Amino acid sequence: MSYVHPEYLVDTEWVAAHSTDLDVRVIESDEDPLLYAIGHIPGAAQVDWFSTLQHPLRRDFLTREKFEEVASRLGITNDTTIVFYGDKSNWFACYALWLFQYYGHKNVKIMNGGRLKWEKENRPLVKDVPSYAETKYRAKEADKSIRAFRDEVLKQSNAKKPLVDVRSPKEYSGELISMPNYPQEGATRGGHIPGAVSIPWAQAVNEADATFKTPEELRTLYEGKGIKSDAGEVIAYCRIGERSSLTWFVLKYLLGYPKVKNYDGSWTEWGNLVDAPIEK
Amino acid sequence: MPKLPPKLQEIVDDFAGMSREEKLETLIGYAESLPALPDRLKAERDKMEAVPECMTPVFLIAEKQDDGGIIFHVDIPPQSPTVRGLAAILLNGLNGTTLEEILTVPTDFYLPMKLEEAVSQQRLHGFVGVLQHMKHAALQWA
Repeated sequence: MSYVHPEYLVDTEWVAAHSTDLDVRVIESDEDPLLYAIGHIPGAAQVDWFSTLQHPLRRDFLTREKFEEVASRLGITNDTTIVFYGDKSNWFACYALWLFQYYGHKNVKIMNGGRLKWEKENRPLVKDVPSYAETKYRAKEADKSIRAFRDEVLKQSNAKKPLVDVRSPKEYSGELISMPNYPQEGATRGGHIPGAVSIPWAQAVNEADATFKTPEELRTLYEGKGIKSDAGEVIAYCRIGERSSLTWFVLKYLLGYPKVKNYDGSWTEWGNLVDAPIEK
Repeated sequence: MPKLPPKLQEIVDDFAGMSREEKLETLIGYAESLPALPDRLKAERDKMEAVPECMTPVFLIAEKQDDGGIIFHVDIPPQSPTVRGLAAILLNGLNGTTLEEILTVPTDFYLPMKLEEAVSQQRLHGFVGVLQHMKHAALQWA
């Protein structure tokens, strides 16, 4: 058994051989924004999930026009193969990939294992920031089939359709509102969306080298909790939508579920929403 | 607003006058200068509980010197340079000060540094986290 869409993954060896190819752009997307400056894969560019990819005022992504500017500045054409990698088991790499898909870039991949595996293999990290010839990137209309908004999440919950809560167990139970050791802020209520099953995102990756678990292990993990590929649309959420973008990637590409959405409003929206139902 | 300990105030003022690039470089400089944990404290660190969710594990210990000043030692993995940088600023600014001085540092002391130009606002919660951790550790000497 293999992943359903193995073309969405590359290994570190592939990246080492192709990181400076003209039709490939390797992009680092981290939780810790200083890591890129300290050392990155030769030829790699950086996006920051917050300062590069969010709207400067509203709680939303940057606009389609701004996205085109970012992609053009990174020398990306509509045909470029983009490989994302990052720290923390590729959380923010998956987040960036999800957003590039949202604006219609099809040819995207994750470097399996991310920074951790690259470092463990003692591969080179460089400090020089490459410059790219600017392009005229054209983004597509936002693809809302991969992004869930609160009203459809409520409908999903009321209809008892699959919802996956990928936060830590204590966030799911409502004991904590944020991750352990993170500031306890951002939501005025704790708990989870009624009907959501708890499958912490980290169970999808191997702790030792941040690679994804095998297809068999992943299938057992999600199907064992009742999240089956024939169950229709699946919505994943966490606190702000970054951890759940990893789960979205796993369900959509590694396991090939037909319809998966990431609810990026996540708990910081739901836990503040007046009249929203909550389970503890 | 209570006055900050002079060394911390100096660092805050320095950052306030820097360009975005200078802030980034200086923060990396702090991250790289964070002293290694003294060997005698390593056993203590190894007793620390593993943090779930692969969050940055911050080990921190406060010691009291003969002159009453408090000294902090921290251990933060190199994979988390932002948290290392923020912790190094606090160590440089607060090591050797008294318990009272530490406890009166307001949690928003860093706002004039305008560090969000270099690392986003979200990351600066790390400052509050480390500062609270330091206050908590220092309290054992109350």
